Amino acid sequence: MENQAASHALQIAVRGLVKRYHYHPVLNQLTLDIEHGAFCILVGSNGAGKTTLLRILASLSRADEGRIWIGGMLLGTSPLLRKRIGYISHHTMFYQDLTAIENLRHYARLYALQDIDEKIQAGIQSTGLTRAQHQPVRTFSRGMQQRLSIARALLHDPDILLFDEPYTGLDQEAAQSLDQKLNALHQAGRTILLAAHRPQRLISIASHVAWLNDGKIIQHIPTSRLADIPDLYHYLQEAA
Amino acid sequence: MKPLIRYLNTIWQITRKDIQVEWRGRQGVPVMLVFALLVVFLFNFALQLSPELQAGLASGLLWVSLAFASTLGLNRSVSLERENNAMDGLLLAPVDRSAIFFGKSISNFAFTCLVAIILLPVFSLFYQQNMLSLPLIGIILLGVAAYTSLGTLLAALSIQTRTRDVLLPVLLYPLALPILIAAVESSRGVLSGQAFADLQSWVYLLVACVVLFNAAGLMFFETILEE
Repeated sequence: MENQAASHALQIAVRGLVKRYHYHPVLNQLTLDIEHGAFCILVGSNGAGKTTLLRILASLSRADEGRIWIGGMLLGTSPLLRKRIGYISHHTMFYQDLTAIENLRHYARLYALQDIDEKIQAGIQSTGLTRAQHQPVRTFSRGMQQRLSIARALLHDPDILLFDEPYTGLDQEAAQSLDQKLNALHQAGRTILLAAHRPQRLISIASHVAWLNDGKIIQHIPTSRLADIPDLYHYLQEAA
Repeated sequence: MKPLIRYLNTIWQITRKDIQVEWRGRQGVPVMLVFALLVVFLFNFALQLSPELQAGLASGLLWVSLAFASTLGLNRSVSLERENNAMDGLLLAPVDRSAIFFGKSISNFAFTCLVAIILLPVFSLFYQQNMLSLPLIGIILLGVAAYTSLGTLLAALSIQTRTRDVLLPVLLYPLALPILIAAVESSRGVLSGQAFADLQSWVYLLVACVVLFNAAGLMFFETILEE
């Protein structure tokens, strides 16, 4: 009950999360609190469990133990809770033979959105893909697909955004464009949890850093206090 | 939107997307059709059967060609969702996940029926049987519905494994044996002019398979897909 009460004040509350693959715990009694409007970077070495944590939060994977509250509601109690979450990974989740518009329309219909065409056009314009909107996704560059992926994740106006290594495969220009987009989303008050192997470029934009190691969050601090934690500071320097 | 309407709408959206992707890419149905026709041609020319033997074997050959062609379609259905992790996109949607099963099952059913529509006249020509009778079409619809619902369920299971490309037929054919036996026996009965009373046990078995595998999809599809 105490956990539940605490979770209402938070956007994401994770308690005692355990996930095992072949009896090996990838997440081990993990606890994490993310406040409304926070932009938290999830850092950790390869295999630390960043993707696993994000997939569990997005309801794509099932935890073996533990509980998660999203905006005070227990995850797994209703499919409608997924409407509050936008998930972006390095896999774009698009059908390659369909055009950008057709892909977005398919997702908009799955979310049973109103005013679909207006929302799709707003998404296409905000990602600068207006000229390519009627082309099959197969013809898009990696950067264009990632921008379209963000438009897909924002289509249903979620208040929580989960990013899993969104910079993978992006060139410098596309990465800078993503920096600006993330900053704008943070300023607009969305709660963001972003897993990155090399997070240095995001430190100036993000509000918090969570360090995942051995299946647990071992540090979770505001970015302004990074210098107070030498181990984490050095880890980020090395990762850069 | 009311929950039932929303559920049915989700099923339709999944089916519509599969049809749209197939129409755009044309990578599934043409391959299924060519394969099914090849089976018909090969057996016809390789075996050189007398008309009496052809009549006896026609229903078996029809179902072998349909089952193999349908398996190709099911594999294509899986690979479509695996490409770029498109299945994750479906799982993220705020809908009951069993709707994904029914949506994909209906599209697999539709693609196999499309192949059957083209295959039946060819079969009639080569095996000198009237394959365009209503009772036979009814049995084909039942058999394909049972086969594709079981296949869709197993395709979802195989999507999680590394050996997914070979796993589906290995799992599917043994489990589909009751469907195939019932379909072949009831088709043979219809082609030889037997009364429904003589075939009803096989037809009821097909109906039971349709109900059973769709109920299994309703109950277990979400569990199968979650890691």
